[in-house]
Amino acid sequence: MSASVDLADFLPAYLAEAEELLGTGHRQLLAMEASIRRGLANPRAVRELFRAVHTIKGLSAMVDVEPIVDITHWMETCLRHADRAGGRLPEASVEPLMEGLREIEQRVRQLAAGKQAAPVPPGLLSRLEALEAEGSSGGGAPRAAPAALALEEAVAARLSAAEREQLVTGATGGRRAVRLDFIPGADRAAHGVTINSVRERVAALGDTVKVLPLSGPAAGGGALTFVLLLLTEAPDAALLEAAGGPPASVRALTAAPASAPEPLPELAAPDEEPEEARRGGGSLRVEVSRLDEALERLAALVVNRSRLARAVAALTAAGAPTRELQAILQENARQLRDMRAAILRLRMVRVGDVLERLPLLVRGLRRSTGKSVRLELDVGDAELDKAVADRLLPALVHLVRNAVDHALELPEARRAAGKPDEGVVRVASHGRAGGLLDLTVSDDGRGVDAQAVAARAGVPVPASPDALLEVLCRPGFSTRDAANATSGRGMGMDIVHRIIVDQLGGELGLETRPGAGTTFRLRVPLTITLLDALVFECAGLRYAVAVGSVEELIEVDAAQVVRPAGAGGVCLVERRGNTVPLLTLARLLGRAGLGGCEGPAAKALLVRQRGELIAFGVDRLVGQQEIVLRPLEDPLVRVPGVVGATDLGDGQPTLVLDLAALGLARAKGSPRRQGGLAREEGRLI
Amino acid sequence: MSVLHVVFKVDGAEYVLPAADVLQMESFTGATPVPGAAPHVAGLVQVRGRVIPVVDARLRFGLPAVARTLDSRVVVAQLGNRVVGLVVDSAREVLKLDPQQLKPPPPLVVEGAHGFVKAVAQVGPRLVMLIDFPRVIGEETLDGDGQR
Repeated sequence: MSASVDLADFLPAYLAEAEELLGTGHRQLLAMEASIRRGLANPRAVRELFRAVHTIKGLSAMVDVEPIVDITHWMETCLRHADRAGGRLPEASVEPLMEGLREIEQRVRQLAAGKQAAPVPPGLLSRLEALEAEGSSGGGAPRAAPAALALEEAVAARLSAAEREQLVTGATGGRRAVRLDFIPGADRAAHGVTINSVRERVAALGDTVKVLPLSGPAAGGGALTFVLLLLTEAPDAALLEAAGGPPASVRALTAAPASAPEPLPELAAPDEEPEEARRGGGSLRVEVSRLDEALERLAALVVNRSRLARAVAALTAAGAPTRELQAILQENARQLRDMRAAILRLRMVRVGDVLERLPLLVRGLRRSTGKSVRLELDVGDAELDKAVADRLLPALVHLVRNAVDHALELPEARRAAGKPDEGVVRVASHGRAGGLLDLTVSDDGRGVDAQAVAARAGVPVPASPDALLEVLCRPGFSTRDAANATSGRGMGMDIVHRIIVDQLGGELGLETRPGAGTTFRLRVPLTITLLDALVFECAGLRYAVAVGSVEELIEVDAAQVVRPAGAGGVCLVERRGNTVPLLTLARLLGRAGLGGCEGPAAKALLVRQRGELIAFGVDRLVGQQEIVLRPLEDPLVRVPGVVGATDLGDGQPTLVLDLAALGLARAKGSPRRQGGLAREEGRLI
Repeated sequence: MSVLHVVFKVDGAEYVLPAADVLQMESFTGATPVPGAAPHVAGLVQVRGRVIPVVDARLRFGLPAVARTLDSRVVVAQLGNRVVGLVVDSAREVLKLDPQQLKPPPPLVVEGAHGFVKAVAQVGPRLVMLIDFPRVIGEETLDGDGQR
């Protein structure tokens, strides 16, 4: 049989697809579970889940993975019944279905590791089969009286059964089903109001079920109308405004609920829906390595451009007529910026998608800890560079795990404290500013007991939240007496700190109130691959820092610098009535007295370090430019204060520094030691 | 089966590394120093668009530093997922060695060389030493760092 040859060819694509479908499957099943708990039907989730399972079955049959085909087959049967029951799934079905997904996942992993998929575990199929019997006995509760749709023929004819159902279900569930007519026109386009912009703005106000172009005379003299069918809670005025005002119009689609519910058209089997063909249309899965490669090429172009700029500057200085060259160079710079933005957008992933594993994690923790927990995700459509997202996820997983495991009390204890039985863990994003994304992970648990933490670490009780966080982030620190399965062994906040602060160059903060809960504040850069940097010279070498991290740039007047006795070389400068410590960067870098100008620094970069302003003295400012950051992963060169390296066009890597981290690292070690600071001390921070 | 090895010199002595582990050889024109890195880390160099750390073999072996010459080379080697360079005095030869030729080093050498020398081979009149690359670049820094 040639099956093995085919398998090897298709396997990577199969694994990627299966992985994604499993993600969808988990998400929909969790949504189902939530609906069941509130006593609601969720036909949409049932269908989505069915589709995911059905597709996995098809793919698995193609690559000949018998066990997965068997499992999916029975899951499908069970879901078909749920669909017939109007999207109601018996509660007892959730667990076996979840188990099914888990078993599929396990087998996908086995295949990924080059092993054979294990046979179906005994008992699972019979459990799934039992569901079928149960489902067919028709446990579905009667549906709520469905709302009737008022649609004109031209529109109604072009709606699929699923879309019609989505509108009806939404309207029955209390949202408004409306029809928004948008008439495009030249004057509107000139103001940037096009169907695309309207789509985008409307998407923020509700769910767009369908967009239909209708030709024919339209209000305002146009010949084309876009009909947007929406489910929304927004008022008409907001919708109208999103479509650029009249001649756009808004109409409600639902009349008052009919006294006798109209029979719904018989639903097509989900796998036969025409919608299937459209799914995923317009998007493409790309390996990250290919995106990296594009970025790599871009980096080379950026470097080349700065060389070109230098060459042109030299020509200009020599008196050559370079006017046209300058213009070309400027155009080139703009193109590169656009290209950079385009590539960056390619690399952005939605934070919500990154977090899709968290509900599953919490579900597992709920079972293993016996605690009642609700996870609230409120991250909107914030996006992050894939590279940042990949690093961030383990930190978030860790914080959520900690919250459930350490912070939340058992139901009895919560009741005794006057709180609801169910604890809440909330992961939220609070917008972005200046290339940074703010996230919080909060719980309403018992709060961090500073005294207990101090006693455990053998230190005085920390006076501030920052100090408390610092103790919590010590390597290996754990508030648990015995390691348990949930918290892992010795894995502590130090991992979170290392990811957020050291690897991503972000910030980590803590707020905690005894008895009321804890909030971790995370601030991470949207991207770590491309950034605006200040380039400067210090002790004969060039360095770069992110523009965003520098608060101000000042000239240092040697006459104004005060040298306090016994401060070990730390000077003071005056800045707008405040005294700011001035550190010589060359000393921090262990390069004092090496190939540069001696004496006081000419310029200083003002940076906030734990809220305090610190001035870092440098020799010369070279300029501001865009750089491509290459993170330094190798343990040999992973040191605090250095976030990565970049290429400024001279063939030598230039270090990109995190001045605040560098200052902190050196403040703890001995700056006089050869080579700066020992690595071990660096890691203690 | 004899195996291809890259030969390089440090302070007059000849060392070898299996050619399979060596990605490329580059001339050495200086490295960007990294503050706070271990003393034997010469810094960072850029090799075909990628930034890699380089270890100074002389400093690692406890030898005095010398001025780099046109002969100085960076031996770029792959270690699992890591790519690390080693700055050596010169490297311009490959050698086929039969595994039979490689003998454990005398105990005295083991002690004196901090385990950097894994084996020695007599090739005609020459004595070449097979180095333990992970150990030379400082494998110990991997332990306790990262995964706990």
